[in-house]
Amino acid sequence: MDALNNLMYGFGIALEPINIAYVFAGVFAGTIIGMLPGLGPISALALMIPITFAMEPSSGLILMAGVYYGAIFGGSTSSILLNAPGVAGTVATSFDGYPMAKKGMAGKALAIAAYSSFVGGTISVIFLMLVAPLLSKVAVSFGPAEYFALMVLGLTAVVSLSDKSLIKGLIAAVVGVIISIVGIDLQTGTERFTFGSIQLLDGIDFLVVALGIFALAEVFYMLLRGGGGKEAPRNAIGSLKLTRSEVKEIAGPVSRSSVLGFFTGVLPGAGATIGSFLGYSMEKRLAKDGDTFGKGNIKGVAAPEAANNAACTGSFVPLLTLGVPGSGTTAVLLGALLVMGVTPGPMMLEQRPDVFWGVVASMYIGNIFLLVLNLPLIPLIAKILDLPKPLLLSLILIFCMIGVYGMSFSVFDLLLLLGFGLLGLGMRLFGFPAAPLILALILGNIMEESMRRALQISGGDWMTFIDKPISLSLLLIALLSLGLPLLKKRRKRAIAE
Amino acid sequence: MTVLSLKRLAVIALPMAALAGMTTSVQAQEWTPSKSVEFVAPANPGGGWDTLVRTVSRVIQQEGLADENYAAINVPGGGGAVAWAQIARDSGNPHKLFATSPPIILVPLAGASRYDHTDFTPVARLITDYSIVLVSADSEYETINDLFDALKENPGLSVGGGSAPGSMDHISIAGLASAAGLEASSVNYIPFSGGGDAMTNLMGGHIEAVITGAGESVGQLGEGSQIRALGVSSPERLGGGLAEVPTYQEQGVDYTFDIWRGIMGTPDMPEEAVTYYQDLFAEMLETDGWQEARDQLGWIDAYQNSEESGVFLDEQQAQFSGVLSELGLLRQ
Repeated sequence: MDALNNLMYGFGIALEPINIAYVFAGVFAGTIIGMLPGLGPISALALMIPITFAMEPSSGLILMAGVYYGAIFGGSTSSILLNAPGVAGTVATSFDGYPMAKKGMAGKALAIAAYSSFVGGTISVIFLMLVAPLLSKVAVSFGPAEYFALMVLGLTAVVSLSDKSLIKGLIAAVVGVIISIVGIDLQTGTERFTFGSIQLLDGIDFLVVALGIFALAEVFYMLLRGGGGKEAPRNAIGSLKLTRSEVKEIAGPVSRSSVLGFFTGVLPGAGATIGSFLGYSMEKRLAKDGDTFGKGNIKGVAAPEAANNAACTGSFVPLLTLGVPGSGTTAVLLGALLVMGVTPGPMMLEQRPDVFWGVVASMYIGNIFLLVLNLPLIPLIAKILDLPKPLLLSLILIFCMIGVYGMSFSVFDLLLLLGFGLLGLGMRLFGFPAAPLILALILGNIMEESMRRALQISGGDWMTFIDKPISLSLLLIALLSLGLPLLKKRRKRAIAE
Repeated sequence: MTVLSLKRLAVIALPMAALAGMTTSVQAQEWTPSKSVEFVAPANPGGGWDTLVRTVSRVIQQEGLADENYAAINVPGGGGAVAWAQIARDSGNPHKLFATSPPIILVPLAGASRYDHTDFTPVARLITDYSIVLVSADSEYETINDLFDALKENPGLSVGGGSAPGSMDHISIAGLASAAGLEASSVNYIPFSGGGDAMTNLMGGHIEAVITGAGESVGQLGEGSQIRALGVSSPERLGGGLAEVPTYQEQGVDYTFDIWRGIMGTPDMPEEAVTYYQDLFAEMLETDGWQEARDQLGWIDAYQNSEESGVFLDEQQAQFSGVLSELGLLRQ
């Protein structure tokens, strides 16, 4: 009952008229920021610090949190409509969302994304409210060895993400790992694959690769196929309504991915991107119709969207209970809180219950706002697909270029974008799947750093990965998830023969 | 393409800048900016440089200290190297400043930037933070000497920090070890992607100790905390939440380490402009708006004017290259 009392107290704060206005302003701004590539939640929040400076801390955090989860909510729109993820956390949404849009089901895809985001966001707030203080222990129990094991488990998804040829999927994954290595090596300070260019010292931004390989490659591919501008798509949006059986179909994936996403978010450093990939590949493996994933399966939209919103809420656990930011975005939030005179940490629940419970309560309200705000917008935004093809392609092109340039103001990154666009085109023409490359790019860096860190701590003893129970169990699950599909295949073949 | 067009621009801009410099020196002794000042944070939004730039420009505006606007601009990349390379080409421009701190010395020493502090014009040092050594609350180490005694016996003990080897946190702990009578290179320094990351690993018991910025750790210390501070690198005890933490010197280790932050200008910035800016910042430090922001961010005023901070930077370079060469990380 304690949680209920606290929640009531929180709603008392969140329902003050001024705070309702802040929630609304936050999620509205967030939705728009999420839709536009380039202006991610990190820079948006950093720009807001001067505005929140003079605010009541609970109001300030309510506003900024709204921008953060609003951006993750809105980021799915461009993933689905244009194959161009607005924020890193929504890359996995494009795997099935874009094929759905191409089939004339854009409305449905966007609606599923909105509902799943809403459920993911709400389930995770309940978790945040009930178990946040306990979870801070889980968050710190993950050291380098455990992170390595988690990343290995994540990478096993390459198998399920490479649909036709496993070899091609693995090659794509290796390329992804190589791209993740570019830049200054954190462990030694050595430059790797930078070819003397200072622009590459910080590595290659994940979104540059994602926009190139997905969106730009799509533009090139459509041009190659004979840029016919005449065939105007008929009723490209389709219905927004979900049938009862569709609701039933996504209920499982959404709830599972919400929980998985939340726990991924709790781990510092994992976050929405990894959460959405884990949710996607888990559902692909669990689904009976797993082979239709990547071709417009509604579960392939629901799972990552529920997971990324849940992970976003989960990332507030280490921030608020430990005072430790788990991601770039929460690092900016931490900075903003410090400026407002609030120090997040173990004592915050006692010292500033208004901030903690106010924000938790505001998240319930914010998620409802997001749903109400996004659903009516869908038909309007999806109209983009009714544009004649030459216009649409140019629009995607501009979108990608503004997105990339807006992140770094660097012409060099635009050339990189072009390069990855061509790479993506080549991969498509020769049947290499793009998803394993992206997955390996996200996980590769953390995996390598964690492994070397763990070994440096253990003095070079590899047993450190097996001695630790969490690490050992994650590695065993990874082994299982690799072994089971192979066994299944063999048995199928045996039966067929 | 870009290089070419920039070169072309420089050909036009340089004589113009020279001309502008001449006219101002003839017209009046009191130089003031004639247009908006570009104030560069050589990093992404949210970090230390960015916070400094945004806070300074906000205070200048709020307190009405200048007529012209100070526009915060982020130029991320290469730990600062990308911004420095751009600013180095803007020789003589009196309308461009950037935030700086030890990386302007460390990054070039590690061989990752062609430009170092001598390529730019020192304007002022503003603030400083200090390093702090943390252990988990239930650790057996009570003093900094306990930790180093243990390190002598078992060099494998892991000390985490928030940045790459050869950067600030590593230099700080290596210099401390050296002052405590150990080999600088004997510390098993584990680089994490940030101070927060390192502290989480400390709380989880994955590493023995952490070296990070004192300001960054304030929120983590105090009642009910899972971590404890062994010592701080300041010459005197700090205030506020860190008043209980003894300095290294109190514990018999004669060593201090500053994480200073300041402002620099373009190469060969005209003298009148330097004078104007250094006085502006000195005035800014006296305002209520600054003092409020400074206290909230846990900064400590450490003003030096252009000349003083130039000397200070040279001393820092000598000190850092000493530690780096002991560590075998000197690449220049």
